[in-house]
Amino acid sequence: MKLYCLSGHPTLPCNVLKFKSTTIMLDCGLDTTSVLNFLPLPLVHSPRLSKLPSWVSKDGTINLEKELKECAGRVFVDSQPEFCLPERELLDLSTIDVILISNYHCMMALPYITEHTGFTGTVYATEPTLQIGRLLMEELVKFMERVPKAQSATCWKNKEIQRMLPGPLKDAVDVWTWKRSYSMQEVNSALSKVQLVGYSQKVELFGAVQVSPLSSGYSLGSSNWIIQSHHEKVAYVSGSSLLTTHPQPMDQSSLKNSDVLILTGLTQMPTANPDGMLGEFCSNLAMTIRAGGNVLVPCYSSGVIYDLLECLYQFIESANLGTTPFYFISPVANSSLEFSQIFAEWLCHNKQSKVYLPEPPFPHAELIQTNKLKHYPSIHGDFSSEFRQPCVVFTGHPSLRFGDVVHFMELWGKSGLNTIIFTEPDFSYLDALAPYQPLAMKCVYCPIDTRLNFHQVSKLLKEVQPLHVVCPEQYTQPPLTQSHRSDLMLELQPPPMPYRRCSVLNLPFRRRYERVYILPELANSLVPSEIKPGVSMATVSAVLHSKDNKHTLQSVPKPPPVPPSKKRKRVMEEPPVVLAPKPLLSGAVPLEAFLATLQKHGITEVKVEETADGHILHLQAEDTLIQLEEDGTHIVCDNNEPLRTTLRDLVLRFLQKL
Amino acid sequence: MDRECASLLPSVCEVLADSGRSVPDDTSLEKLLDWFTELTEAGGSLLEACPCLLKFISTVVHNTASDPGVLSFTLRLTGLMAATEDGFKMLQEQSVLNQVFNLQHWQEAGLWDDPCLRIGWIQGLRSTLQHPKALRFFVQSDFIDSLLQLQTDTSLFVASAANQMLAHILLFFQKVLSAGSNGVSKTEEEDERRIHHSVTDLEPPAVTMETSAEYSAVVKGISEYLKESLIPKEKTKLHQSLQILKLLALLLAQAGPPLRDKLLQTVTDSLEQLVTAGCSRLTLPLMDVILAANRGHHDTVHTARAVRILLLPLDIITGPTLLGTNATADEHPFSVVEQLKSKTSCISMICVCLTNTPQITLTLPGVLPCPPVLIVTAVVSLLRICSGTSSSSSTVCSEVCRNVIGSGKVQKCALEALTALNSSPGVKEKISEVFTILIQYLDNPDSDPTVLHKSYQALVKWIRACTDLSLITDQLRQDLVEVVRKRACDMRWEVRDSTVEFLGHLAGVHVSVSSGEEVCDASEALLGGCCTTPLLREALQDTESYVRASAISALAKTLTHSWRQGAALTQDQTEIVSRLLEILSQDTEGFPRRAVVQYFISWFFSRSSHSPPSSSTSSTSLLMECVRTVLSQGSADLDWEVKVHTLELAELLLDQAFSAHRGYRKGSDAHRALQHPYGVVSDQAYALHTHTGTHTEGVQSDLAHVVEQGVISALLSGLVDCDRPVALKACRLLITLRETICPLSLGALDATAATATVSCELLGRGWGQEITKILGMEKSDRAREADVSAQRSSGAADGGGDSVTVSVCEVLRSLGLDERLDVLTQSSDHIHNSPLSLLQDILTASGAHTHPDTKPGQEVIVDCY
Repeated sequence: MKLYCLSGHPTLPCNVLKFKSTTIMLDCGLDTTSVLNFLPLPLVHSPRLSKLPSWVSKDGTINLEKELKECAGRVFVDSQPEFCLPERELLDLSTIDVILISNYHCMMALPYITEHTGFTGTVYATEPTLQIGRLLMEELVKFMERVPKAQSATCWKNKEIQRMLPGPLKDAVDVWTWKRSYSMQEVNSALSKVQLVGYSQKVELFGAVQVSPLSSGYSLGSSNWIIQSHHEKVAYVSGSSLLTTHPQPMDQSSLKNSDVLILTGLTQMPTANPDGMLGEFCSNLAMTIRAGGNVLVPCYSSGVIYDLLECLYQFIESANLGTTPFYFISPVANSSLEFSQIFAEWLCHNKQSKVYLPEPPFPHAELIQTNKLKHYPSIHGDFSSEFRQPCVVFTGHPSLRFGDVVHFMELWGKSGLNTIIFTEPDFSYLDALAPYQPLAMKCVYCPIDTRLNFHQVSKLLKEVQPLHVVCPEQYTQPPLTQSHRSDLMLELQPPPMPYRRCSVLNLPFRRRYERVYILPELANSLVPSEIKPGVSMATVSAVLHSKDNKHTLQSVPKPPPVPPSKKRKRVMEEPPVVLAPKPLLSGAVPLEAFLATLQKHGITEVKVEETADGHILHLQAEDTLIQLEEDGTHIVCDNNEPLRTTLRDLVLRFLQKL
Repeated sequence: MDRECASLLPSVCEVLADSGRSVPDDTSLEKLLDWFTELTEAGGSLLEACPCLLKFISTVVHNTASDPGVLSFTLRLTGLMAATEDGFKMLQEQSVLNQVFNLQHWQEAGLWDDPCLRIGWIQGLRSTLQHPKALRFFVQSDFIDSLLQLQTDTSLFVASAANQMLAHILLFFQKVLSAGSNGVSKTEEEDERRIHHSVTDLEPPAVTMETSAEYSAVVKGISEYLKESLIPKEKTKLHQSLQILKLLALLLAQAGPPLRDKLLQTVTDSLEQLVTAGCSRLTLPLMDVILAANRGHHDTVHTARAVRILLLPLDIITGPTLLGTNATADEHPFSVVEQLKSKTSCISMICVCLTNTPQITLTLPGVLPCPPVLIVTAVVSLLRICSGTSSSSSTVCSEVCRNVIGSGKVQKCALEALTALNSSPGVKEKISEVFTILIQYLDNPDSDPTVLHKSYQALVKWIRACTDLSLITDQLRQDLVEVVRKRACDMRWEVRDSTVEFLGHLAGVHVSVSSGEEVCDASEALLGGCCTTPLLREALQDTESYVRASAISALAKTLTHSWRQGAALTQDQTEIVSRLLEILSQDTEGFPRRAVVQYFISWFFSRSSHSPPSSSTSSTSLLMECVRTVLSQGSADLDWEVKVHTLELAELLLDQAFSAHRGYRKGSDAHRALQHPYGVVSDQAYALHTHTGTHTEGVQSDLAHVVEQGVISALLSGLVDCDRPVALKACRLLITLRETICPLSLGALDATAATATVSCELLGRGWGQEITKILGMEKSDRAREADVSAQRSSGAADGGGDSVTVSVCEVLRSLGLDERLDVLTQSSDHIHNSPLSLLQDILTASGAHTHPDTKPGQEVIVDCY
């Protein structure tokens, strides 16, 4: 069993598992942090961004006038933002049989994998994952297509040139794998390969293994996966959460007794407790509004925003913010808010029960009804006429490089009254803000990451007790910035197997058994004999038939009647004569009883000699030796066949036959 | 004992002694015993007062079918009676004593298995052991072994009682002997009298040589036992060791030198052995013993050692700074580090250490291994480690630090320690560092409400201790403003409440600004003055009533200074006042309304104590207008505490009006004691203030003024209030007023004549009607008819009847205030709590139980409450 690791990002994994002749891709996350190296795409013409100076190296030798711009003391690539794709050279992607998706954040690279690679397999995901994933992809494509940039920058990627560049650009890795966004057509084609599954539904793959999604508690429809054969079990744990938020709670017990547990998607903010962050979010929001400022929340259009809105729903009354408008701006805002209300079976118990009442599961419906929350596809159109300040705006993209958020940054950045509150943990907020410096706006970083933290995961692992754990190497040491926090890493016995981008791991795991079926008529012909109470044995002669990873024992075909022929051309063509096999013997010969039996049969002069393996009986009168050993009995008797036969029969009396 | 009780007691004894009758519940017996104890303590002899008890005891003791509860009661009663030498002698003569405490008797009767009986035996003996005769009895009966056995009894209560008893024997007779050995000879008579009078009096009775020998034997027996049994025979059987450690802690905390030395001498080896055994379950009790041994033990060598041991966990975690780098290997015992690696023991050890640090810094400087300032530094570093922001410089292990990261318990303990360390010598220079860590805690999103609260407390305490705040940088001040602003918007009301409270406390602290010349309040110095009032005004709108209440109190504290100076009101302050009156009339919760009344009390108080009442600035006239509103609305409030506070305001007005008059007693001292513990109480000290006005216009005009302000109405309405504390307070104030304006003494007749002309109005409804009724003023037929018709008509709401105008003096004299006061001062359950009622209850209950017609299930259950 092998694991190919195509992504180095611990929360946006992409691994391929080869297990029992199947090739299974586990998630295909898209690392979007690469976009931080690009200039923001303004929705409205920005004089500031359009007049940036080109970057020229100090000695003037490198001049990529078109590609690199200097902004706020840093160098950015001026082109359509590009994403860091999973590794595509490590193995032939067309050999992948299935892709298992664990949540909508971990499928954003799907079109890059399923399109133009010869992929012919199936993608398995739950319905909310598919629908919300589609929304996120659609949003991404729209963000890009709204601000078309013809130019694609490639010169800077030249190794020689990149080496000379300043700052983060110089250190960017795998820049040649960076690709521009896909098109809507590619998204549709990729998503057409998705087959929907429900929690605990078992899907057979070629008869060899069975895969089944389990609720992981992280987001709507998010799942962990169990991949098992009859005798082996692999658990794939991706973004999971034990907190009580909107999704169905995590199914932990089904992860028990795995041989290997692949652990990804732990919290990216191990020191930031979500509850504390939520409190921080609310108090900063209230503080800003009270002082007459606006609040900008760059966020994804699905996920934590549901919890934020729910929390605000309760908070705005107590903080006397009743009249402040909340705006949610995204090309998919409407669908996201509505989708969340219809996936009742995927929600936590509390919300599920609301489905039977005349009220929607999420309170944001009420916020919309009462006009406290308004949503728009973009800042153009209706929004501009209804926009009222001070207000709170939720909009994407959290990288601050594209989407409507760019406009609000330009609009509000210059006033110290306003606040930007980062809630998504995927991007470093300082890097995200880099092209907007200097900034008067107040910045608050309260990343809300509900995924498992190290404390929770160690408890979980103690409970489910996998034999081996595989995880990204980042989890096996304390975070770089907090090297003293030895509590922020996985410590297990045996130690977890770490992987990084491009690792190929041989999983320490031997297949010891295989299930074989036996046909009824064959089973019928068996003659079991009990070798000890409750255990019977029988010998089988049969033909082993293997097809589609299923093994069956069938009766030996009767030899066809020998065709009458006068000449036997070749002896070899004759079917082998099937002899009735000799019975198998088992048991041991008890010395005392055996001696007594010999005496009964007139053999009285027996000299017993003890050896390392048993006994040697010397029948002096008959000049015969009987060697009784643990796994064999020899009768050494020259020229006295009747005696030998008698002795043999006496020995056999004590043994059981099969 | 009154006659009635004495006559009932024999029948009660009969009921209790009759095993065929069902027994009253435990609480009745407890109450009965309490009553007997009271009687004894009052100096009466039980045996003389109720001879029936002796018969009762012997009857019960001989009847093995008695209920264990009654038996236990009897044992304890016997002990009580034998507590005096007289009683003891008599019981012994009747050979009751031997019978009652005879262990064998109880064991043979199979009653010893009942823990109830065992505890009765222990407690009875304990009460007896108040004089040498009892000690002799104890020693001669060979009770010591049985008692030691009971120390590890299966019942926790029995075991604990045995422990207490052992401690009692050693400690009580230790005092007796040490006093006796002073050689002061006392006449027998004197002793007789003293013992006769009080059993709890700790003055030692006569001591003889035998007593001393017996005591030594007991001490020897017990300490040998302690020594032997301290080390657990098996690792798993720690119960006995735990009990002994508890006993040792108890003894060492109170024992005087000879006993203490003897004990320490005997058990030190075993203690050391126990320490090296490294049983983590015994760590805490062991530490208690060490602490107790150290207490009051001023020998510097031992104290220094104890201090080092106590500081060891902190030293290990924060890096070797406290005990010096030369802390030898034997001070870093492997076992301590090992114990710190386990999370539970780590947290409890570090908490014990932290709790003791403030006290440690106050011990003699020679004893401390380091200056107190280093301890502050260590606590600050621990707080940093706890919040996960810094690593330890300790090389020992990160494993230990991991146990305290994020531990709320350690954070709270460390914050408490830091708070208390503010007054340690030479630590003021650390204020900036302390500020930094506290602000960091206040800012930390993961700090729970209690941690935030304690951080605020620590800040206030440190500011109070360091009156010179020039060490606080502008950056720190700015950070503090930011964090306070943020916390004022917190989701959790507890946090908002602490924040608002903090602002109030800060305003109450006076600090010198930079040069040390100018003094201002700390909120202005640290927060710049522009932050406090807007935040508090905002908090008046809070959804949580506690926060609103705290905001009101904090506003009062913030404004006290300007009130004192008689500054003119700002627009802001006027708006606050109208908002407060709105709260008083509209808020649905009691807390904010109480706080509003308190607000006006402190305003009135601070103003009146500093400016003459005649000064009619705009501020004064607004205040007086408000006071009138508060008096009328507050006395009509539904919440009794609001009403009591309103009466306090009325009292202040009375104080102001009459304190210069002859015969006026100020009630301010009394009213502090009356305040309810849960009420919102401002910290404002009610210092005595001097009245500057002279006795010019006489009582008459003052009284007229008071009536006009609505004080009399408030008092009268309070008097007929259904809440007892309100009525009581009003009644006391009315009596004071009566004594002042219309005293019955002859010399004051002149004044009475003049004041008699001042009158007030009683409305024909509500409290006015009640007062009218008390006064017995007959209504004319016509008025009654009008009354009836008014009730019939739907518009009865605003006018129930005619109002009457009466003379204030007349009212005060005719209300029967003194009789009312008598009734009101008695607690509402005084009738049901009397011994008589108790005895009657027991009799009634037994009667009901034995009544032949009573069917099962219809039993009357005695409700003693």
